[in-house]
Amino acid sequence: MKEPTIVSFLCNWCSYEGADKAGNARLNYPANIRVIRVMCSGRVDPEFVIQSFKEGASGVLILGCHPGDCHYKKGNYKALRRTYLLKRTLKQLGIEEERVRLDWVAAGEGERFAKVANEMAETIKKLGPLELKS
Amino acid sequence: MGEKIGVYVCKCGPNIGDRIDVDTIVEDIKGIEDVTTAKWHNLLCSEDGLKFLKEEIKNEKLTRVVIAACTPKTYEHKFMSVCEEAELNPYLLQMTNIREQCAWVTPDKTAATEKAKKFVMAAISRVRVQEPIEKKEIDIQPDVLVVGGGVAGLEATLTLAQKGRKVYLAEKSPCIGGLGARFEEVYQTMECAPCMLAPELQEVLQRENVETFTLSEVEDVVGSYGNFTVKIRKKARYVSEEACIGCSACFEPCPVEVPNEFDEGLSRRKAIYLPFAGALPNVPVIDKDNCIGLKGKECNACENSCAFGAINFGDEDEIIEKKVGAIILAIGSTLFDPTSLTALGYGNVDNVLTGLELERLNASNGPTGGKILLKNGREPGSIAFIYCVGRKEKGYCSGICCMYSVKLAHLVKEKLPDVKIYSFYSDLCLPKKDHQRLYGEAVDKGVEFIRSDGTESVTRKDNNLVVEYKTDSKTKRVSVDMVVLAPAVEPNPDTEKLAGFLDIPRDEFGFFSEEHALMKPFGTPLEGVFIVGSCQGPKDIGDAVAQGAASAGRILSRLIPGEKLELEAMISEINEDLCGGCNTCISLCPYFAISRDEEKKVAVVNETLCRGCGTCVAACPTGAARAKHFTKEQVFAEIKEVAK
Repeated sequence: MKEPTIVSFLCNWCSYEGADKAGNARLNYPANIRVIRVMCSGRVDPEFVIQSFKEGASGVLILGCHPGDCHYKKGNYKALRRTYLLKRTLKQLGIEEERVRLDWVAAGEGERFAKVANEMAETIKKLGPLELKS
Repeated sequence: MGEKIGVYVCKCGPNIGDRIDVDTIVEDIKGIEDVTTAKWHNLLCSEDGLKFLKEEIKNEKLTRVVIAACTPKTYEHKFMSVCEEAELNPYLLQMTNIREQCAWVTPDKTAATEKAKKFVMAAISRVRVQEPIEKKEIDIQPDVLVVGGGVAGLEATLTLAQKGRKVYLAEKSPCIGGLGARFEEVYQTMECAPCMLAPELQEVLQRENVETFTLSEVEDVVGSYGNFTVKIRKKARYVSEEACIGCSACFEPCPVEVPNEFDEGLSRRKAIYLPFAGALPNVPVIDKDNCIGLKGKECNACENSCAFGAINFGDEDEIIEKKVGAIILAIGSTLFDPTSLTALGYGNVDNVLTGLELERLNASNGPTGGKILLKNGREPGSIAFIYCVGRKEKGYCSGICCMYSVKLAHLVKEKLPDVKIYSFYSDLCLPKKDHQRLYGEAVDKGVEFIRSDGTESVTRKDNNLVVEYKTDSKTKRVSVDMVVLAPAVEPNPDTEKLAGFLDIPRDEFGFFSEEHALMKPFGTPLEGVFIVGSCQGPKDIGDAVAQGAASAGRILSRLIPGEKLELEAMISEINEDLCGGCNTCISLCPYFAISRDEEKKVAVVNETLCRGCGTCVAACPTGAARAKHFTKEQVFAEIKEVAK
């Protein structure tokens, strides 16, 4: 059985640094959390999520700055709106909406990053690997 | 010719070396297409490591480089510089983080090695489709426009001018100096404000590289950082600044008298007037709304009295256009009008004043020559100060009213040592290092501070004012001769207009919004436009001056004469052949960097304003928008490897 991977899009300014802080503090989380750096959570095109599933991911994590803290003012709100719509579409395609999680992690929140990563890994473990019908 | 990709894995001593099987990774990737070199290094960021990297790029004739090491946040810029030194475009480097986001969070060495390999594979796939990005530079105009001649604007002007910059200073009123010039003494130094400001005002007016436009308002701004074109309306003064010697002989003959707004209406002035004695520039102005001569009646009293032919009834507004690289907004603030709080009696009951009115009564260039007098001309025997007027209505603490009220109490006590002073407050805001001391000294002088619940009311009874207040749930009354209110600071009404045509945001209270409350407290999302002093939020003189100097510093360090402005490299671009002209991106851009080319019916990115967030790219329905260095192909290349 293939290992269910979780592609994680982290914004450059807050969440990516939050993930670095988790590392500095040597907090553990499963190795199937795979990070891709983007400048802003607002850059995460719904296509990135679909593509991740197509390429074999079982979950997608999108992390941005907390509301009001976006380095680019409002990119995280745009991510919020897009993710909401995307989840509805995924549901219609038979993909559980829990497989996509949008959350906020600040640059100093190493513990929070590890918590979100562990929770997401747990969620995906419960759901099992995503089997896409071709 | 094929690509030559060099992959370098850093062991970071034991940090990566002990937790990830680096040797295996290096061996495994050696066979991958285009990877011509794969090596590990014990510490790539060391001097030795950087030298090694530079030589590798040159000797192996690498066309692309992957570095697997610590977080790119720490040394990516260093490795990019090495690429540049080795004549490789720095955007053909990809770093992947196998320390903070792999070795340090994955205790199992096998799992960590497998994950790190995926990261390295993703970086190799990505770097293959990365594109060189050439630095873009634009010519700039180093001159600066400062709007507002109060303390913040003056400081900005002088800081720039002393470094040789040309500054245009536009001030709406007939004189420069702002509110500060109307105060007799200011906290916390208890210094004479006109004396403190006079040398600055003189220098601004005398410097050849400062052009001061009084009676002037900015009417339009187009362009962007480095290259703005501003339109200023300089209203007619009707008195020639060149011919007038400032002798004041024209005031006396003028038959018109109106309340003087510069004395808060407490004195009267003529239709030709100087706002207050000592106002600079020392040239009177004719108030065209009240001058009967300008309204067509037969009157040229001032003209006849002028020995220098300085009066010019034919003067007209002038539109001045200037090109500047940056704009500093320092338009200040105004005070909350307490008339709406009817219980306080302001505007209705005599001898209920605002703090600013008392400032003018106390000023030696004010309506009473500095005497603190009641309306009937007597000195007050008792005064009640009421703090926090309008705080509840405005929804924020202005932070300076407690201190200006404490200061006024000091000044009154100096002039009238026997006066009884009550100060009604609900919360005292004394945050700075000298504030507690000044408050303590006021208490020592006999000023009585009474904590009330903020529901004071003022009524007239016989010849006295009765202040009713609640303290400890008990209603009490005190009889005084004068009441002085401390109204909240609120935005200058011009804030809305300027924010409108500059396209910069205002906060929920109507002040200009700073770009970042802590890191960019005087910047705006529109690069090259700064907000300093109390137009950004209530501020005392010291803080306003600090922001004025700071904004000038920002300009001096980035907008340099003879140098080009380097633009952000990782920005968005729009392919006009693919753009459907739907305008989705235009409304999404947080920096107003995208506009519509009406002729071609497509969206166009302003390279000076774009900061590369990529939100337009994520939203573009046709794929016309592209984020340099974060293209779909590049992200997909990463996804392909890490999703497996």
